[in-house]
Amino acid sequence: MKNRLKVLRAERDWSQQDLAERLEVSRQSVNAIETGKYDPSLPLAFRIADLFGMPIEAIFLKD
Amino acid sequence: MTQDVSTPGTRFSGRHPGLWAAAFAAALGVIAYFEHRGLLGGWRSLPFVAAAALLLFPLTKAANNRQAAAGALSPATRRYNRRMLIWSISYVLCLGTAMTVRNYLDPQGTLLWGIAILPSVPMIFFVWTLARYVVEEEDEYLRYRQTSAALIGLALVLLVGTLWGFLETFGVAPHVPAWWVVPVWAIGLGLGQMMMTSAERRADRT
Repeated sequence: MKNRLKVLRAERDWSQQDLAERLEVSRQSVNAIETGKYDPSLPLAFRIADLFGMPIEAIFLKD
Repeated sequence: MTQDVSTPGTRFSGRHPGLWAAAFAAALGVIAYFEHRGLLGGWRSLPFVAAAALLLFPLTKAANNRQAAAGALSPATRRYNRRMLIWSISYVLCLGTAMTVRNYLDPQGTLLWGIAILPSVPMIFFVWTLARYVVEEEDEYLRYRQTSAALIGLALVLLVGTLWGFLETFGVAPHVPAWWVVPVWAIGLGLGQMMMTSAERRADRT
């Protein structure tokens, strides 16, 4: 699954560590999600969506 | 829950944990060689085995530092590393004690059963440590990573155990004690971690 996490993060000038702290996950998790290596669970996807104030489908896209 | 990546390493523990693991394995290999040559054995080996076990401290420290640098040192990971260190040291001590008692006290009956079971006790706690990690880890990706690595370790145990079992059955390989399952599983766990790291690096490049 593709996602716009890196772009959204860059728009806010957040580092991976900044985003990880806001989501209360490890920096490695943010990196794995950004690079598409790992698809987050629905609860984490909702936390990401809430953080950016966007619907999930605006962040995570079908391949 | 996320730890900062800036935890500095000491001069020695800043080295790759694989180097400490290799040094530990090499030290045990040297001890085994001298035992094979009859220069060590029983209680004479114990101080050397205990000294080799000290390498597990910098190994754990180096693993902590490396995980911190990778942004993957959660509180649960820190507890997992600490528990693994405790049970690894316990295993070395229990095994050394059991071997020494068997070699020098000629135990019988209940005592023999006791020392035969003794080295297995830390192994039970190895499994408990992994189970606790899966329960305690709040970071779903780190939990997925460790669970995947453990499954790769399990796959290696099943494959090697089955293959070796049939080699033994057909008389083309010597007997290997069943307690080798845990070292083989641990090797598989390490291989699993390396495979996960390699996949992450590939994903980073794309």
